Amino acid sequence: MYQPPSLLEKWSQENNELVNKCKQEAAGGAVSRDHRQSSLRWCSSEFHKLLRKIQGIPPHVDHSQLELAVVYNTCVCFTAQSQFSEAELLLKEATERVLQVTGNNADTSDPLVLWRAGLKSAGNTALHPHVLYLLCLQWALWLAKCQLENIGELQMSSLCEIVCDGVGDCSPSEAKGRLSKSPLLVMEPKRLTELLQICTSIAQGAEKLNEGRSSEALSDLQAASALPATRALVAYTHLLSGSCLAHMNRPQMALQCYKRALETDSRCVCALYRSMLIYRQLGNTQAEIQALRLLHSTLMLPPATEPVLGGIQPLSPSLLLSSQSLSRLLSVPSALSVLYSLALKCVLSGRVTEGVEHYLDLLAALHSEDQHAVRVDAEVSVLPRMPELYLEAGTALLFTWRPADCMAFCNEVISTTLELVPEKVVLEEPEEGIGGDARGLSVEGEDKVAMLLWAAAAYLVQGHCHAHLKDWKQAVTHYTRCINLLVKVHLKNRDFQPQIPAADVNVKHGKDLCTLQRMKGLSLAWRGISFTQMDQLREALRDLQLSLQAFPDYTGAGLWCGEVLWRLGRKHEAAACWEKTWSLTTQTSVEKLPLYLQDPQSGPLLDSVELRFRIQELVPPV
Amino acid sequence: VMEGRCAVETWAQFGFSGRSYKVKILCGFGTDVLICTGTEEIYVFSKRERKITASIRFTSDASSSPAELKISQECLVVGADEVSSLLLVGSVLLTLCQRDASWLLTLYKTPKQTASTSHKEFGSFHLPVASAVDCGAAESNRGPRKGSVLICIHSGDVEASSSSNASAESTVAQDHFHLEPLLFKLLFGVEAALAKSPVILCGLPDGRLCFLPLRLPGSRLRVLHSLEQPVCFVGASVVTETGHAQCLVAAGEQGRVALIKTDKAGSEGGSAVAAFTERCVPGPVWCGCMDKSCFYYSTGADLLRLDLSEGSFARESKERGEETSGTTAAALQSPSSLNVCRVIALAEPACTGDVQLLGVSARGQLQRICLPAGRVDEGSSKLPSTQVSRSVRDLLSAIGDVCERYAPSVLKTVIKSKNQFLRLLNHAVSVSFLLMADTTTDLPIKEKPIRCHFETSWSRLLQKDSLILVCFLHNSSPFVLERGWTLSITVSPLSYSSSPAGESSSTNFSFPFHDLRPGQTFEASLPIAAAGDASFPMTVSCSLIFSLSSLLGEEEVAASFAGLQSSCISLPLSTLTVDWLHALQLNSPTATHKMATVQPSSAAADSIQTFLSSRQLRCSGRTNRGGESAAKPEPEKYSASVWVSSEIVRDTLKPKKSSNLDAKESIRDPEDLYKIALSTSVAHARGPNGAAMKLTVKEVNHKEATIEVQIESSSLAAVCGLHHAVLRRIQIKARLCFFQISGAFGEVVSTVQRDRLLLSVYQELRRNPLLIV
Repeated sequence: MYQPPSLLEKWSQENNELVNKCKQEAAGGAVSRDHRQSSLRWCSSEFHKLLRKIQGIPPHVDHSQLELAVVYNTCVCFTAQSQFSEAELLLKEATERVLQVTGNNADTSDPLVLWRAGLKSAGNTALHPHVLYLLCLQWALWLAKCQLENIGELQMSSLCEIVCDGVGDCSPSEAKGRLSKSPLLVMEPKRLTELLQICTSIAQGAEKLNEGRSSEALSDLQAASALPATRALVAYTHLLSGSCLAHMNRPQMALQCYKRALETDSRCVCALYRSMLIYRQLGNTQAEIQALRLLHSTLMLPPATEPVLGGIQPLSPSLLLSSQSLSRLLSVPSALSVLYSLALKCVLSGRVTEGVEHYLDLLAALHSEDQHAVRVDAEVSVLPRMPELYLEAGTALLFTWRPADCMAFCNEVISTTLELVPEKVVLEEPEEGIGGDARGLSVEGEDKVAMLLWAAAAYLVQGHCHAHLKDWKQAVTHYTRCINLLVKVHLKNRDFQPQIPAADVNVKHGKDLCTLQRMKGLSLAWRGISFTQMDQLREALRDLQLSLQAFPDYTGAGLWCGEVLWRLGRKHEAAACWEKTWSLTTQTSVEKLPLYLQDPQSGPLLDSVELRFRIQELVPPV
Repeated sequence: VMEGRCAVETWAQFGFSGRSYKVKILCGFGTDVLICTGTEEIYVFSKRERKITASIRFTSDASSSPAELKISQECLVVGADEVSSLLLVGSVLLTLCQRDASWLLTLYKTPKQTASTSHKEFGSFHLPVASAVDCGAAESNRGPRKGSVLICIHSGDVEASSSSNASAESTVAQDHFHLEPLLFKLLFGVEAALAKSPVILCGLPDGRLCFLPLRLPGSRLRVLHSLEQPVCFVGASVVTETGHAQCLVAAGEQGRVALIKTDKAGSEGGSAVAAFTERCVPGPVWCGCMDKSCFYYSTGADLLRLDLSEGSFARESKERGEETSGTTAAALQSPSSLNVCRVIALAEPACTGDVQLLGVSARGQLQRICLPAGRVDEGSSKLPSTQVSRSVRDLLSAIGDVCERYAPSVLKTVIKSKNQFLRLLNHAVSVSFLLMADTTTDLPIKEKPIRCHFETSWSRLLQKDSLILVCFLHNSSPFVLERGWTLSITVSPLSYSSSPAGESSSTNFSFPFHDLRPGQTFEASLPIAAAGDASFPMTVSCSLIFSLSSLLGEEEVAASFAGLQSSCISLPLSTLTVDWLHALQLNSPTATHKMATVQPSSAAADSIQTFLSSRQLRCSGRTNRGGESAAKPEPEKYSASVWVSSEIVRDTLKPKKSSNLDAKESIRDPEDLYKIALSTSVAHARGPNGAAMKLTVKEVNHKEATIEVQIESSSLAAVCGLHHAVLRRIQIKARLCFFQISGAFGEVVSTVQRDRLLLSVYQELRRNPLLIV
C-alpha cells in the first residue's frame, strides 16, 4: 500500500513539469506558428503518454482528480491541434471512468445523456469541478465543430457561472491547504469559460443572422459585448451587431456599430469593409472610396500583431469560431481585390488619374516577386481575370490621355491570347429551361470564347487609341481586326432574336453574348466614325447601319449614322435617324459593363443641340 | 553500333550501400557536385580535385576522413516533418509533404537579411490524397516513403525579367525549366502567362501531376494529368535555339512516360491544343535526367536513352498522315540502351560538347558516364503560319502607313511628275513608232497619221519682199503632241556654189508644240528667202524632234546632265525642194491677190534690178548657150525650151495617187502655172531675183501631141533656174515610168509577163520621145 501515493506524486509531478514547460514555451514568445505547433504536438504526446500510464490501472478515487486533470491537459493540447475526435474520445472515456468510480453505469453512447449522468454522479464530491472543466472542454469541442444545438441543450451559459463562481469559492477556502497537491492545468478553466461564452455568443449570433433572425441575434450580441474578453472578440460582437442592423435596413445605425467595432479593435478590417459596403449601398461614392483606401492600407500593414488574437492561450478563438456562417460574415477580400475595387470606383466616379495610379499599383503588385497566391477567398474576391484587368487598366490609361501606354497593355493581351484563338467558336445561347446545364459546358470551350473576346476587346481598345490620336487609318485597321475576330463566333440556337439580351441574364453565356453584341456594335460604329473622318461616307454608312443592327441601343451609332446621311445629302433620312435615336432613351447601366466596353470618352463628338437646330432648319415651318 | 559503348569512369566511392531511392546528385555549384545520400549525409565532390572534399552531417559523429561540416540547430530554416521534396523559387522556399489525408504544399519566405535564418510560412495549399491510390501508398509506407517531384516551370518569354535578379543564380537550374510560351499558356492558362508567374509542378506518388501558378491571386493546386503510377521524374526537353523547351515529360515508376506538347493543328477550329501522349518504356524507372533533347533513365539493369525530338517528329508526321520511316517511329517505343547498369541517381551537369552524365551506382560509386557523340540536334523553330500571316499583315499596313505619311509632301509631287514623264515618254515612243512605220510601209500621203504640206507665197516683210513658206502639220494620230515635241524645219540651198561658206547658208526653224491634239493642224509661216538674195532651188526638210531636256525641265538638266541637252529623237517628216517655179511671181492679173498686193510697191526697184542683172549676165549667157541643147539664141534674151508630151502635162495636172513623193505641194504651183499657160499660152512672171521672164506654152506637133514650154528671160540665172524647175517636174513623171519598169523587174512574174510589161514601157517611151530620163 506504499506504492500508490508515490505513483500519484510522481505522475502529478510529471504533469506539473509538463504544464510548466508548455507555459514556458507559450510565454517564450511565439517564434512561429510552425514552431508552436511542433511544441504542442510534443506536449500532447507527452500528456497522452502520461495519461495512458495513469489509466493503465483501474479507476480509483484518489487518482481521479489527477487523472481528470491530465485528461483536461491532454484534451486541451489535442483540441489546440484540431484533433477533435481524439479529444472527444478521451473525454468520453474519462466520463465513463468517473461513472465507474462513483459506482454508476452508463450504457448509453449519447454524449448528452452521458454528461448528465456524469455531472449527477460527481455530485458535490471533489471531482465535481474537474468534471465541470471537462464539460467545458466538451463545450469547446462542440463549438469548434459547430454543434451549437448541443450547447443549448445542456445550458452551458449557466454552467459557466457555476464554474466561475464555484472555482472562485472553492479556491480560497478548501484548496488552500492542498494547493501544492492540486495538479496544474494547462489552461485556466475560468479563462476557458469566458472565452467559450463570448465565442458561443458570437457563433450563435452569426447563426441566427444567417437564418434571418436579426433582431434576436442583435439583442444577444449586444449583451455579449459587455462580456470580459479580448478586444478582438468584443469588436466581433459590435461588428455582428452592425451586420444585424444592416440586415434590418438601418444603415446609419449599422455604421455606428462598425465604428464602435473599429474603435474597440483598430485591426478589425472587416468592420471597415462592411462600412464600405454600406456606403456603396447608400451611393456615397466619396465615402466609399475613402473607406476602400483605408481598407487597403490596413490590409497592407504587416500582420505583426496577429498573435494578439491568440494570446498565449493554447486554445485560440479562431479555433472556436470556425463556423461557416461566421467566416462568411468575417471574410474580407484580399488587398488586391480591394485595390481593384478602389481603382475601378475611382475611374467610374471620374477620378480617373487616381484610378489609373491604383490600376498601375495593382498590376505592379501582381507582377512583383512578393506577390504569391496565398489567400483564396473565392467568394469575396472581385478581382477580374488577368486579361480583363489589363484591358481595364488600358482603358483607364486611355481616359487619361495616355494612348501609348494603353496600346502597350493591349498588345500584351493580344500577344498572349491571339495564338489560342480558334478559327471558329460556337456560342450557345442560354435556354430558359436548362440554364444550369449551360454552365456545364467544358471549361476549355468556355475559355476559348473568353480568349477570343479578350483579343477582340484589346483590338477595340487599340482602335480607340488610334481614333483618339486621330490616326483614322490605323483605327480602321484595328477595328477591322476586332470585327474579324468577332465574326468567328457562331451563335447556336437562334430561335429568339440575338438582340441584346435582357440585362438580368446572369448566365455566363448570356454575359458573353451581351459582350459580343456590344463589342460588335462598338467596333462597327467606331469604324464607321473613322471612315466618316476619312470622308469615306459610303463605308461609314454601311458600318454604322450594321452597328445599329448588332446593337440597336447604342446612341453614338445612331447619331453618327444620321450625320453621315446628312453629309450624303439624305437630310430627311438623317433627321429621322436622329429623332429615332433620341427617342430611345434606354441607357443601359454603364456600371455593370466592363470598363473597356464603355463608350470611349475621346473622339469626335456630335452636338445634339446643333443637330436639332439643323432639323429645324430643314423642316420648313408650315 | 554507335550507341553501344559508353565510357564510364568511376570518380569516387562512398561509404554507403544498399538501394535507396533518395540518393540525389545536385550540380550547378561550380566545380562541386553534391551527393545527397538521403540519410543524414551530404557529400561534396570536387570535379577539379577528383575527390570528395567535404561531407555535411546533421549529427556529430566525429570519425570521417574528409573535412566535415556540421550543421547546427541554428541553420534550421524550417522545422517541418517528412518533407518529401523542396524547391527554391526566387525568395520562396516550397516544401511538399503529406499530412494526414492531404498533400500540403507550403510556401516559406526566405529572409532578406541573412541574420535571421528562420523562414516565415505565408501560405499553403492542400490537395486531398487520392483515395484509390492511397491504399497502395499506405502499403509502401511500410518501406521507405516514395518521394515526390517538385519543379518550377517558367514561361519562355519572361525568362529575361525573372532571371534579372540574383535569385536565378541561387536556384539550382536542374529544377527550373523554361517552357515554350504557347505550351505554357495552353497548360497553365493565359492568366499565369500574363502575370508572368512561374508555375510549380509537382509529381506525386499517387501518379498525379499537379500545378500551381505561384503568383496568381486565388490560384489553386490543380491536377494537370495522372500517370496512375508513382511519378518519379518530371522535366522539360526538346529545347530550341531560343532556349525554350517544347515538350514536358513526366515519367512514372513503372515506365509510363507522358509527353505533353503543343499540337499546332488542333482538332477543332485550327487553334493549337496541348497534346498529351502516353507511351510505355521498359521499366522500372529508378531515376532520370534530361538534356536538351533526350531523356535518360536507369532501370537498374540498364541505362536507357529516349530520344524525344526524333520521336516527337515522327508522331507529328504520323498524325498528319504523312509517310514516316519505321526507324523514327520506333524510336519512341524502344529507347536505346547505353549499357550501364545499377545507376540509382543521375544528373546532367549541362556541359558543352559531348553529353556527360553523372551517376551514382547502387554500390555507392560516383561515375561519370560519357555518351558517344555523333547525334546532331535538329529542331528548327519555325514561326506558326498564323503568326507569319499576321506579321505580314502588320508589315503591309505599316508600309501603307508610311506611304500615307510621306505622300503629301515632296514625294507625292515627285511621283506625280515621274508618272507624267513616263506618260510623255510613252507617247514619244508611240509617235516615233508611228512615224517609223510610215517610212517602211508606203502609205499614201493622205493616210499618214502625221503629215505636213507646204505652201509658198510672197509677202512683204520689213520693207522687203520675201518668200514665205507656210507649213501645215496635221496631227491625225491618236496622240497629243505636247511639251517636248518640236517641229524643226531646215532650209538649205540645194547647191552650195552660190555662197562661199557652205553650211552656214542653211537655216533652221523650230516650233515647239504646246498641245497639238489629235485632229488639229499646226500652221507655221517662215520666210525662207528675201527677194533677190536667195539661191534657188533650196531644200526644205521637215522633222519632228522630241527632246528629253525640254521634258525634264531646263534647270535640272543644265545642272546635272550637261550632255543630255543634245539628246533628242528626231523623226523626219517630209522634204520639199523649193525651186524657181515655187518662187515665181506672176505678173498676170489672175495671180493670187496676195501677190498682187505685193507687186506694185516693188515694181520700180525691181525693174532696175532686172536691168542691171541682165546686163551683167549677158556675156556669160552667151558662152553657155551652146550647152543648152534646145536653147534658141536670141539677142538680149536667153531662152530655153522643153518639149513634153501633152499627156504628161495633163497627168501632172491631175492629182497623183501612187506618188511616193510629196506631190501635192509641188503640184500646186505648176498647176497655176499651166493653168495660166494653157489659158493664155503666155505667162509673164518675175523670178525671185527680180528678173522678168516669160513662159510660153504651145503645142508644137499636133500629131505627137507635144507641148513646147519655152522660157525666156534676160537673166541667165532665171532661165537656168526655171528650166531646171520645169525639168524637175517632168522628171517626176519620168521617175514614175521608171518605177513601173523597175517594179516589173522586182515583182516575181513569169518571163512572158515581164517581157510584155517591158514592151509596153518601151512603147510608151517611143511614143513620148521627149521624155527625159
